[in-house]
Amino acid sequence: MGNKKEKAPARSKVLQRRETLVSYLFLLPALFFFVGFVITPMAMGVITSFTDASFTDPVGKFVGLKNYIRLFQDKIFIKSAINTVIIVVVSVPVVTAFSLWVGSAIYRMHAGLRSFYRCVFYLPVVTGSVAVTVVWKWMFDKYDGLLNYIIRALGGKPLPWTSGESMALWCIILILFTTSIGQPIVLYVAALGNVDASLEEAAKVDGANDFQVFWKIKWPSIMPTTLYVAVITTINSFQCFALIQLLTSGGPNYSTSTVMYLLYDIAFKTTKEFGYADAMGVVLAIVIALFSALQFKVMNGGTTE
Amino acid sequence: MKKMLSAVLVLSLSAAALAGCGGSSEPAATQAAGSEAAGSEAAAPAETEAAAGATEIVWWAFPTFGVDTGYEQEVVDAFNAAHPEYSVKVEYIDFTSGPDKLTAALTSGTAPDILFDAPGRIIEYGEAGYLVALDDMLDELKSDLNSESLVETCVGADGTAWMYPISSSPFYMGLNKEALEAADALQYVNLEGDCTWTTDDFVKMCEALRDAGPTQVPAIVYCGGQGGDQGTRALVNNLYSSSIVGADGKWNIDENGVKALTLLKEMYDSQALDAGFDMAAADELQKFQQETCAMTFCFGTSNEVTYASEDFTQIAVPFPSDDGVPSLEYLVNGFCVFDNKDEAKAEGAKEFIKFICDDAEWGPKSVLKTNAFPVRKSFGNLYEGDEHMALLASWSQYYGPYYNTKAGFAAMRPLWFNMLQQVFNGTDPQAAADEFNSSANAS
Amino acid sequence: MKKKTMTPYIIITGIILVALAIFFLFPLYWIVTGSVKEKSDIIIKSGEMVKWIPTRITWDNYQRLFKTGTELFGIQMPMAIRWLFNSVFISVVAMGLTCVCASLAGYVLAKKRFWGKGFVFSLFVCAMALPKQVILIPLMTEMSNLGLLKSVWGSMFAVIFPVVGWPFGVFLMKQFSENIPSSLLEAARIDGAGELRTFVEVAFPIIKPGFGALAIFTFINSWNEYPLQLVMLTQNEAKTISLGIASKLSEMSNDFGLIMAGAALAAVPIIIVFLCFQKYFTQGITMGAVKG
Repeated sequence: MGNKKEKAPARSKVLQRRETLVSYLFLLPALFFFVGFVITPMAMGVITSFTDASFTDPVGKFVGLKNYIRLFQDKIFIKSAINTVIIVVVSVPVVTAFSLWVGSAIYRMHAGLRSFYRCVFYLPVVTGSVAVTVVWKWMFDKYDGLLNYIIRALGGKPLPWTSGESMALWCIILILFTTSIGQPIVLYVAALGNVDASLEEAAKVDGANDFQVFWKIKWPSIMPTTLYVAVITTINSFQCFALIQLLTSGGPNYSTSTVMYLLYDIAFKTTKEFGYADAMGVVLAIVIALFSALQFKVMNGGTTE
Repeated sequence: MKKMLSAVLVLSLSAAALAGCGGSSEPAATQAAGSEAAGSEAAAPAETEAAAGATEIVWWAFPTFGVDTGYEQEVVDAFNAAHPEYSVKVEYIDFTSGPDKLTAALTSGTAPDILFDAPGRIIEYGEAGYLVALDDMLDELKSDLNSESLVETCVGADGTAWMYPISSSPFYMGLNKEALEAADALQYVNLEGDCTWTTDDFVKMCEALRDAGPTQVPAIVYCGGQGGDQGTRALVNNLYSSSIVGADGKWNIDENGVKALTLLKEMYDSQALDAGFDMAAADELQKFQQETCAMTFCFGTSNEVTYASEDFTQIAVPFPSDDGVPSLEYLVNGFCVFDNKDEAKAEGAKEFIKFICDDAEWGPKSVLKTNAFPVRKSFGNLYEGDEHMALLASWSQYYGPYYNTKAGFAAMRPLWFNMLQQVFNGTDPQAAADEFNSSANAS
Repeated sequence: MKKKTMTPYIIITGIILVALAIFFLFPLYWIVTGSVKEKSDIIIKSGEMVKWIPTRITWDNYQRLFKTGTELFGIQMPMAIRWLFNSVFISVVAMGLTCVCASLAGYVLAKKRFWGKGFVFSLFVCAMALPKQVILIPLMTEMSNLGLLKSVWGSMFAVIFPVVGWPFGVFLMKQFSENIPSSLLEAARIDGAGELRTFVEVAFPIIKPGFGALAIFTFINSWNEYPLQLVMLTQNEAKTISLGIASKLSEMSNDFGLIMAGAALAAVPIIIVFLCFQKYFTQGITMGAVKG
């Protein structure tokens, strides 16, 4: 960082140079941690991804793009990538639509009731994934779990839940859903509260029904919020990890394995090939960074109005 | 290369932080000082001890002496009192996250000095170059070993001793006596002599349990993780007397193994047993304890204690096989010493291991705490008059070849439970076995 | 606006909301009641009724949880309480550091013009969504090279530093700092106030709500930062409560009461904190995103 200060272009204004200096002094603490503990390990990870580093040889030899080529031939990685995409593609619209619905249902309620609901939906986020998963693990239990208990009591046929290859991923998505909608609801309640009431009144006077009011008046004004919600949910869904680790360990038959989980599994549990795991990490990081750049664009677009 | 890069980056950063330590960057400076203070604070006790001449030794313990029994601390206190030149510190790890932590600690150079574990991981660490060879200790022990074959559980491919054994015990099956009685299935179980029995009787027993339904399911073949996977391997390998290691020393599910997998799949389809796709041994044992299933495939001397129940009688039987002669898997508990490039620590670690395993007072006590049988002849029979333990001891004649120390064992384990999942999900057993064979030998 | 008729739509919405509230409250209810239930109440056996309400309240589960003892600053305490302390310590320190670093950085990114601003900011934004697992291994090596992983306190800082480095806070504080009227800053400069004083006296009061939001946000984030804790905190005395429960879950999975007691210990304090600061929190996330 020291370099940058000295390299500041020799602009005519002394003031400009001073401002740059001051700015970097202010930025220094944040940059220290950011470069030291985010960028540095990233750089190391990228370097490792080009080696065959593993548990037996933590330094490894340079192998070029071998790890990256292997990724796209690895059936398990492809399956995990597909699972990751399914999680993202399903949760984002569902979370967005659902939180919008709850938001519009509660935003005009009495203040006390409104904050009650806001808190209720935020609870799973605060409770922490480990504690939440403990309860869900028990609810999903195939034999003595609560859900199958209720199904049996109602005379139905018990379901396999997390032990069923076709169901397990949906169980994960369900829990992810409960831990994801808290923040969007808070955002929507606020955004809907900010919609210009006079516009709404005017539309009603003109004879617009509720649906038209929503679609023509409210929807455009909450558009920036919607985009923001969509993007944070995307990132959250990509990052889903503890849930899978504690609930299914990626199974059955890799049906709940995501790139994030597989990366951990390979680095720490199975073959312990760090180079290969890091290559996965780099690919995932690039994908998420693209989404992030999108978010940056979206937010800038959304706030210039 | 990486070390250098990180060092350079961190150094330049700290330099920048210090150089730019003007009014506005105070937080960073205070921060750095704070972390240093924290570091030295924690290092302080170690230093004072070092000054007094005590070498600090860190011991990571899996709950092999039982969970929360406090025995580890007891023996550490006794050792520290007897050997004031050392100071042993025990850290507890569990079987779920412990292995990950060990991987993390070893690769980042923060390994403990001693680990109490079993050969599977220990030999892997040894072959990867993280351990101190214990040949001198094992050589001394050899003449006193109960069984010659125990030596092969402690050494790597070239014969270097990586583990110092303390106790061993077989893995076997547990049955719920009352549930079997209720299903009139006890007739299929051999309760006489050494209790060996056949595959046919096992199938009949499961079918009787299914028809009478004293428990929700007769049995659960867990295949959701590595935990306790030796149980399912023993089941598969015994049904038609197959072995997971071929004559050529490669991982191999042979045609008898495929036959066994086919039988299990048929039983699964006819609901004579169930598959636990999201369960490891601990989950299955819990279901056994709660009487959700009537048997467990992962019984052992310590699980008998952990999963004991007052509500029913547990019977221990060996795995059933077609010819009635089982080939049992067995557990060997032992210690290893990590190579932390410190003579004094390694010496101390060895001293401590000898104390815990061989001391006249603490040795037998430790063996008893593992609920297993001593590896030393000289310890004699520690379970005098205990018929149940005598039965278990008699099964040592059925111990099969030990393969947990073979190269590629760690990589084989995740393939094993995934192979089981595939078979139960309808993949042709032969195809699943072929895939297992090729992947297990690939790495 | 206020005259509301009970249309079927409103009634159905109401019913669904109540049902959902029960669904969302249930895990917490089950944790708290499970932690004081007797063993026979916890396990559902085939053919028996689920015990929705504990038949008898017992503290045995907590007693078993608190069995192992340890010492901190010369005070004897159960290990589980030490874990709770560690969670609080890590979250509070991470919170404090993040707030200071992020508000300084966010302020200049929003209000100053300087060379390299665009680059620095896009670097922050691109890294914002980076999953931490991606850098877990190199991070661990780095922390070990720095000698942090050898001691209990050091390894806790090894969890704190990457959390502080995470750029979300900078991003959030930049959003808030956009609200600072430039004229105020100009006025302060004309009055001859130094940069730091301007920040503290003029800018800070305006971004204060964001500060509060960031504080709670970081607190909850580092509380839930599971993977990083998993690899960095190897010593028993350094474990957080989440890690502690996860390890209990593995060691004593058949002791559901103890697990529930642990989960309650992990969840209840943070929920209380959340409820107390709820107002700032909702205000905060809203302002950060919608930019009021």
